[in-house]
Amino acid sequence: MKRIANRRGYSIFAYHILSLLLSLVTCHLSLVTSIYAETPARIISLAPSMTEILFALGLEERIVAVTSFCDYPEEAKKKPKIGGMSNPSLEAVVSLKPDIVLMTTDGNPKEFEERLRSLRIKTYVFKQRRLSELPQGIREVGSVLGVKDKADLLANEIETTINKLKTQNSKLKTQKKKVLFIVWPEPLIVAGPGTAIDDAMNLLGYENIASKAKTTYPKYSIEEVIHQSPDVIFIGKGHVNMKEVSNSILKRIAKVPAVKNGAVFYVSDNLYRLGPRVIKGIEEMAECLK
Amino acid sequence: MSKIKITVLMLVAIIIFLSALFIGPRIINPFRMGDMEKEILFSIRFPRVVVAILVGMALGASGAILQGVLRNPLADPYILGISSGASLSAAFALLSGIYSFGRFTIPLTAFLGASAVSVLVGVFGWRRGGLWPERLLLAGVGLSFLFHSVLMLLMSISTDEGLRRAVLWIFGDLSMADWSLIPYGLVFIVSGLIISVSRSKALNALILGDEFAHSLGFSIHKERFMLFISMALMTGASVSLGGTIGFIGLLIPHIMRFVAGADSRVLIPLSAIGGGAFLCLADLIGKSIMTPMEIPSGIITAIIGSPYFLYLLRRKDVLSI
Amino acid sequence: MSLAFDRPILELKDVSFSYLRDKKIIDNISFSVGNGEFIGLLGANGSGKSTMLKLSSGILRPSTGEIKLWDKDVLSYPNKDRAKLLCYLPQLLDINVPFKVKELVGMGLYPYDIPPHITVDEALEAVGLSEKPDSYITNLSSGERRRVFIAMTLVQGAGILLLDEPFANLDIRYQIELLKLLKELKDKKGIAIIMALHDINIALKFEKVMLIKEGRILGTGSPDAILTREMLKDAFDVGIEVVRREYGEAYISYENNF
Repeated sequence: MKRIANRRGYSIFAYHILSLLLSLVTCHLSLVTSIYAETPARIISLAPSMTEILFALGLEERIVAVTSFCDYPEEAKKKPKIGGMSNPSLEAVVSLKPDIVLMTTDGNPKEFEERLRSLRIKTYVFKQRRLSELPQGIREVGSVLGVKDKADLLANEIETTINKLKTQNSKLKTQKKKVLFIVWPEPLIVAGPGTAIDDAMNLLGYENIASKAKTTYPKYSIEEVIHQSPDVIFIGKGHVNMKEVSNSILKRIAKVPAVKNGAVFYVSDNLYRLGPRVIKGIEEMAECLK
Repeated sequence: MSKIKITVLMLVAIIIFLSALFIGPRIINPFRMGDMEKEILFSIRFPRVVVAILVGMALGASGAILQGVLRNPLADPYILGISSGASLSAAFALLSGIYSFGRFTIPLTAFLGASAVSVLVGVFGWRRGGLWPERLLLAGVGLSFLFHSVLMLLMSISTDEGLRRAVLWIFGDLSMADWSLIPYGLVFIVSGLIISVSRSKALNALILGDEFAHSLGFSIHKERFMLFISMALMTGASVSLGGTIGFIGLLIPHIMRFVAGADSRVLIPLSAIGGGAFLCLADLIGKSIMTPMEIPSGIITAIIGSPYFLYLLRRKDVLSI
Repeated sequence: MSLAFDRPILELKDVSFSYLRDKKIIDNISFSVGNGEFIGLLGANGSGKSTMLKLSSGILRPSTGEIKLWDKDVLSYPNKDRAKLLCYLPQLLDINVPFKVKELVGMGLYPYDIPPHITVDEALEAVGLSEKPDSYITNLSSGERRRVFIAMTLVQGAGILLLDEPFANLDIRYQIELLKLLKELKDKKGIAIIMALHDINIALKFEKVMLIKEGRILGTGSPDAILTREMLKDAFDVGIEVVRREYGEAYISYENNF
């Protein structure tokens, strides 16, 4: 399979070199302008978070394709699809003749970016993964896509929210409450260190009990949950009825303060993606914790 | 000589069982237990250890049976595609988010998948009034390939979140073990063990060949069918309790043959005990080594199992071929 | 006992067998075996020796005809009851599982609830393997393996043994020993033995031989009467002759076949 894809890739590659040479000979000028054009007209997003940022920056019209996981906002579902995050179709991307392809380091394979570049397709890779880095990331995307002002506006909005929470909670000197964010209950997978969720908990002045785990979304020990006895538990709503699915795990940790005191909250997936919705997610969590 | 070996083995199994109960990610002192320790011990650890033992027993015994019935030292309970069928149906439920039977959904779908494949393999392996080892093996391999490819198809079109859950399940996950499933698993696994131990003389004869078995007064088709049923019951129950856990079914019978000989009357019960102890140990390591994270037990069994197996392979007297 | 002696233990009546419809592997054979008879089956490869033994053991079902064990259809016996009366030892002993010698020999007791005949030790003694009860079968030479299985059939204690090429893979010394052992069994216990052979020299030591070709019996009787030049030519399609010397010694001459 891979070999066939490569061979096909080479023929496309050869075709592109040929067309590049042709265009170099015929209209040298137009080539230069198209590479350094201010605002790319045809954008492909290879990550749901990038799609959300594009929509927030008002670039909806320029998006030519998204991944099959891009389901927010509602209009994103109507855009043409080029496959999944980890396995997008190279042919589909190439055939749409994008001016730029937006990717993230969180879910898109690096090789794919290299393939696109070798085919002379411009790419931009969003490397930020933490909440505090998000505003800077949005500004960078904005300048690459020629919508610097709008990006600044969005980034500032996020920054002010973050800073406001930071100053608010730095005043709190009392002992931090312990929180656990359950991503999936069976087997137990939780939000670990290095995730936007972990950052949001810290901002709100709470301690993520899973922050000592070694991966971002670890499979977590139930015994440890009981030992560390969280005061609050969040459960992310997925595509299924999470209340039903999480029933048995809550029964098993029934003696933990969070469950005993009814501090179990079901929250939406706002914080799963490092995009413009994180503010909503943080506010939602803050609301529950009041 | 072998009596001493068997006693040592039993002691090791008991030590592993107790360590799994009291060591874990945090040590519990059995003489000074607070409420939290009691809670963890009785409602989290105990059922999990029991499930590990049951699953390991089922896999070890099934491996010993299948290596004999198929007359093939490379056979393990998964070679007939039973696990790939269970994985496929469980993955289907996990990926599509069907949840109609509450927490029984995944174990139930896995068990149904395993049973359906057992019947299918049996139908393909059936000819002229009985099951034939070569046909069973080929049918199993063929069906495994089919189910694996459909599973891959399902996984490649699924969401990353669903994929992760399916992968964790397929690698064997004992973390959700609680008392509610144990009675069902116990019924299937114990009845499988009873059937197979009561047929162990016939298994010895079948290992020599059909003609020997016939001459020694066994109805080859009936005995093979009963052994197949017992293996299918145990494998299906184990997959639905703990996902697919590799290497126990292949490795443990070989080790036990080395320890206590090839006589199935001893080998089946010992493979069951050895398998139970080994999975218990692997699960203990998996949940303790990177606390608070857990590593699926199936990965640990393969990581410990494969090097030891290769070491055994170098010792000529263990594998006779 | 004399009454039982006259009754045939095993009797084949007009037996035919074919795997597929076209070719008959066994073609309308009839014969009977009495107590203490010692019969060598001779024939070229594919003549139907093994099939005849398998049919007699009941593992194959004849297409037509009837096989009787002690006056009853061999297929009508419950498996365990038949195993006490009749024992079949296949030619190939490809066991790759490390059973111990005593475990294997002990399997001869499987048809019984109460051990009836001789013990495992006695059987091992009889085949000259009393030193090796704890050896693994996989570490034995093929001659030793053959004797282990003979010991197993002794333990099983059936009145009729069907042996498929028991001398295959055996050194001449063990061939002689095994032949002596089997003759002793026959004399002491009155066991009837039928064995498929391919070595005509060994067949010369038998009291009774049966020559088969293409699933049909060419003749049954003493080696002198059956193993004539004409019969052997017919059965094996080569010109060979039994040469007799003084003191009753005889051997096969290959004449000018080389």
